[in-house]
Amino acid sequence: MNDQLTMRQVVFMYLFISLSPVLRQIPSALAGEAGRSGYLSPFWSLIVIVPLVAVILLLISSFPGLNIYEIIVSLLGKICAKIVIILYMAWIILFLTAKINIYSLTLQFTLMPKTRSDFFMQVMLILVYYALLRGSKTIFRFSEFSLGPILLLIGVLFICAVSRLRTDYLLPVSTINLPSTIKASTNVIAVGGNMIIALFFADKLGISLTNKQKRKFWSGSLFFIVFCFIITIFTFGISGASLTAKLPFPFYITVKSISFFNIFERFEVIVTLICILSDFITICLLFIILMKLIQWLFGLKEREFLYVPLAMVIYYLSYYVSTTQFEFEYLYRYVIVYANMIFQYIIPLLLGLICLVRRKHIKKQY
Amino acid sequence: MVYVFGGLIIVSFVKQKNVILSKKRNLFVFLVLSASGIALGTVRMIFPYIPSIANTLEKFMK
Repeated sequence: MNDQLTMRQVVFMYLFISLSPVLRQIPSALAGEAGRSGYLSPFWSLIVIVPLVAVILLLISSFPGLNIYEIIVSLLGKICAKIVIILYMAWIILFLTAKINIYSLTLQFTLMPKTRSDFFMQVMLILVYYALLRGSKTIFRFSEFSLGPILLLIGVLFICAVSRLRTDYLLPVSTINLPSTIKASTNVIAVGGNMIIALFFADKLGISLTNKQKRKFWSGSLFFIVFCFIITIFTFGISGASLTAKLPFPFYITVKSISFFNIFERFEVIVTLICILSDFITICLLFIILMKLIQWLFGLKEREFLYVPLAMVIYYLSYYVSTTQFEFEYLYRYVIVYANMIFQYIIPLLLGLICLVRRKHIKKQY
Repeated sequence: MVYVFGGLIIVSFVKQKNVILSKKRNLFVFLVLSASGIALGTVRMIFPYIPSIANTLEKFMK
């Protein structure tokens, strides 16, 4: 019973792990692809995120108490499920190694430029190991408790920045810009798809899915869109789209120019801290998912003995995947965004379609 | 770092000996992951400036 999670914890986790990509990657990606109209892209992503949420809720309610592996086994059989799990493992390993890399690069770029990235990675792995020993519930509860104060802080920053927003950086926007905003929305969609984590932990959500839980899930996805919109407006309105497109961490530079009634300044350290916390929780979560995938693939019951060898593989793979900011940006823009589309949207949507086709058979079973 | 990880793997094996040796598949997964980690670490130690996947992709796709 101690292992059970609530929908609220899953939604808070989703928002928490979305914090760092929303603050770090989305503003520059939107500015680069859609220019000053990029802040409209989050709304286009609703067209894809809404069906994804519906599919996830459909799968959870059609297969109560089952996780993604058990759902795939029920729909496609064991062999197909194992193949899908192997593909998901490859995606999670890529995502995890890239995340460890960008975490160390963020710390180097913002606070400690003279420290080697190896040191940051080693410290992170030690912290993740310690967190994993406490169990997944602790990590979910940490995100649940921390998200509120973090959003409050960002709200205060936004209030401080309102007077600095320049409308000429945001307007005019015309219909000519719409195609580019639609194309740029892939960057928001790639982060919004993190909602799929609910399927990995669906077996811990309890047997029945109540309307209240569904409402929480829907509101989480809507909150994500609004949050993306606010952060993009904030960054574009102060730094301008052209500068935002060129910076590796535009929100950090934007916050540098903010002061609280000319009394408190240098809030950028807080932004770095938020990103580091979000990265830490994301890395912990991805480690848990990766270990779950290994357990499902090999039919293991215990997983504690995998921590050290898996940490070693991930640590060294992070060097082989990307080492510099430029390499990470290339990998993120041309590989991770499209890989996310496949694993966060196409596979769950296919599962949802199969679930709809075989609905009568499934209902008889449960 | 590869030596540190190697040491940690031995410590982990000694601590979790009963679990790892209780089933063949546990031992298999542990050995595969350990061997992969040590291989990756050794290659990294011998060739520290080996181009990354992102770098290779970037060159290949240009």
